[in-house]
Amino acid sequence: MEQFFQQLINGIMIGSTYAVVALGFGLIFSVMRVVNLAHPEIFMVGAYVAFVVITRLHLPDQGLGVSVAVGVFLLVLVLAMVVTGVLGLILERLVVRPTRGTYILVPFIATSGVSIVLQNGAQRIFGPDPVRVPSVIPAHTFAVSGVRVTSMQITTVLTAVLIMLALRYYVYRTRWGRATRAVAEKPDVAAACGVNVNLVSQLTVSIASIMAGAAGVTLGLLYSSAAPFMGLLFGLKSFVCMLVAGNRYIEAIMAVGLLLGVVEAMVTGYVSSNLRDAVAFALLLAVLFFRPQGLFGSYEV
Amino acid sequence: MLRSILAHIPAFWVVTLITAGINAIITMGVYFSNAAGALSACHAAIAGMGAYVGAVLTTNFDWPFVVALLAGVLVGFLTGMLLALVTLRMNELVAGLTTLAFGETMVIIAFNLDYIGGANGFIGIPLETTFAAVYVVLALVVFVAWRFDRSRLGYAARACRDNAHAAAAMGINTPWVKTLVFALGGGIAGAGGVLRAHYVLVQNPADMGFFFSVNYLIFWVFGGSYTLWGPLFGAMFLTILPEFLRFSLYDRFIIYGVILTAIVIVRLQGVITRVPLGRRSAVLAWWSRPGRRSQPASAPGLGEGPDGPAPTQSRRPQGSR
Repeated sequence: MEQFFQQLINGIMIGSTYAVVALGFGLIFSVMRVVNLAHPEIFMVGAYVAFVVITRLHLPDQGLGVSVAVGVFLLVLVLAMVVTGVLGLILERLVVRPTRGTYILVPFIATSGVSIVLQNGAQRIFGPDPVRVPSVIPAHTFAVSGVRVTSMQITTVLTAVLIMLALRYYVYRTRWGRATRAVAEKPDVAAACGVNVNLVSQLTVSIASIMAGAAGVTLGLLYSSAAPFMGLLFGLKSFVCMLVAGNRYIEAIMAVGLLLGVVEAMVTGYVSSNLRDAVAFALLLAVLFFRPQGLFGSYEV
Repeated sequence: MLRSILAHIPAFWVVTLITAGINAIITMGVYFSNAAGALSACHAAIAGMGAYVGAVLTTNFDWPFVVALLAGVLVGFLTGMLLALVTLRMNELVAGLTTLAFGETMVIIAFNLDYIGGANGFIGIPLETTFAAVYVVLALVVFVAWRFDRSRLGYAARACRDNAHAAAAMGINTPWVKTLVFALGGGIAGAGGVLRAHYVLVQNPADMGFFFSVNYLIFWVFGGSYTLWGPLFGAMFLTILPEFLRFSLYDRFIIYGVILTAIVIVRLQGVITRVPLGRRSAVLAWWSRPGRRSQPASAPGLGEGPDGPAPTQSRRPQGSR
């Protein structure tokens, strides 16, 4: 039973990060019908921003006060969000906008070119090996009847939950969020009603990139490493989450992200870690066969 | 004669040309499979399955290479047929994702099968693939594709791709055409896989992964998805291009990515299209493309902009939905 709860906690921790990256995929896909292959690499950029900022700060290894640690963490988070947000704006303007609205593979390939550039750029600047991201949050383990939770895990989940709440507020409670939903439903009708589709698209890519960047920071700190190719498998699985959930409801993507994390953790704990990566794709095959539009429905392509 | 010509080419370029030829064969498989409107994101996996079967036959059972090649074709054909039957009723995107998941599942199965080497890959494959073998197979494939483009099946496939309902109304047996065409492409990819395995001499599970499949899709769309020469050009150009950029280790892929993205943005329909250079030259068309100047404040369609219709419609590539 202890192992069960331990794996549950681990699963929720990784699953919340899946959910954040998957939400970015879902936002971009539902608003523009673009599969943004550069999204996982923006996640990777977030982790590298954390690495650069923390090593430049020359923090002492031990003995950071809690308030200082939280301050540094927030600083890193905000800087990473700014960098990835600007990256998202550039990406939208240069690559996504000229290819949007064409055959679906065209933006797919254009963004995959961007992802090749970002991966090899990271390799060139930081080398092909993973770099060690120094920890910021003081290592502290809370144990409740044998189930251990570290402070960094709590920070990860908290950050992810806050980001998701903020996104939910943006999409359902603000003017721009309503415009975003209108464009996702029917772009031409939204344009006829006076929505600036280009601006909405730009905002959407930027917001999705900001979320990916924040997820990159927390995951980089959690595993205390950043690598040029860290985005690949993680991004692919997040993409699968988005497909399994369908891209209509934010809550659905969150739930499936968490579910995937938990199921993967359970498979690792009880069956074999070799089969962990198979879970996502088995889930995808099963869902696509019976419900091609995703479990909770999607916008029409 | 071929041998004397090859002797004058540096060995490095022979290797590159063989790799390019193998990539071109598998990309032609993608061209076939997607000719009837399916979207296959698993051709690396089909090629890999053909490669595993071919490699096991030549290495463990000492079968002749040609028979192994045919076995690879058969495996690819059957896999393609199975995939086509599963994805028949899905729309293009969902079909693509199903094949993606299939490919990843194959990778994981290969990882856990000890008989074919598991995670270490299948090693000890004899070297059988020669320059001549690759280009004979490629020429055969191109000939088949050329005949296919002008055959009843080719026209039927193109009709299915453009509008499956209209094609069915014209009396085309769309499920049969789609299945057959996808399976043909699978068979070609299987042959490419066997050739590759007997050239690289090792077959890794990771070679079947999503990123290799995406590579073939990139070759296909980059060159021009609806023409016979497009995929051929895309595979050749994008395999040989990084070799010309070899002056620096990481920079070359950065430049490669920039060139890839730039050409895709400028030539949305791929480099080679049915209208060879477009009505205007590509650069001019890009420069004066609709929507480049900012839209007027009023909604498009109501107050007609200076450029006429809304940008998304006029830039849709021919034949897409």
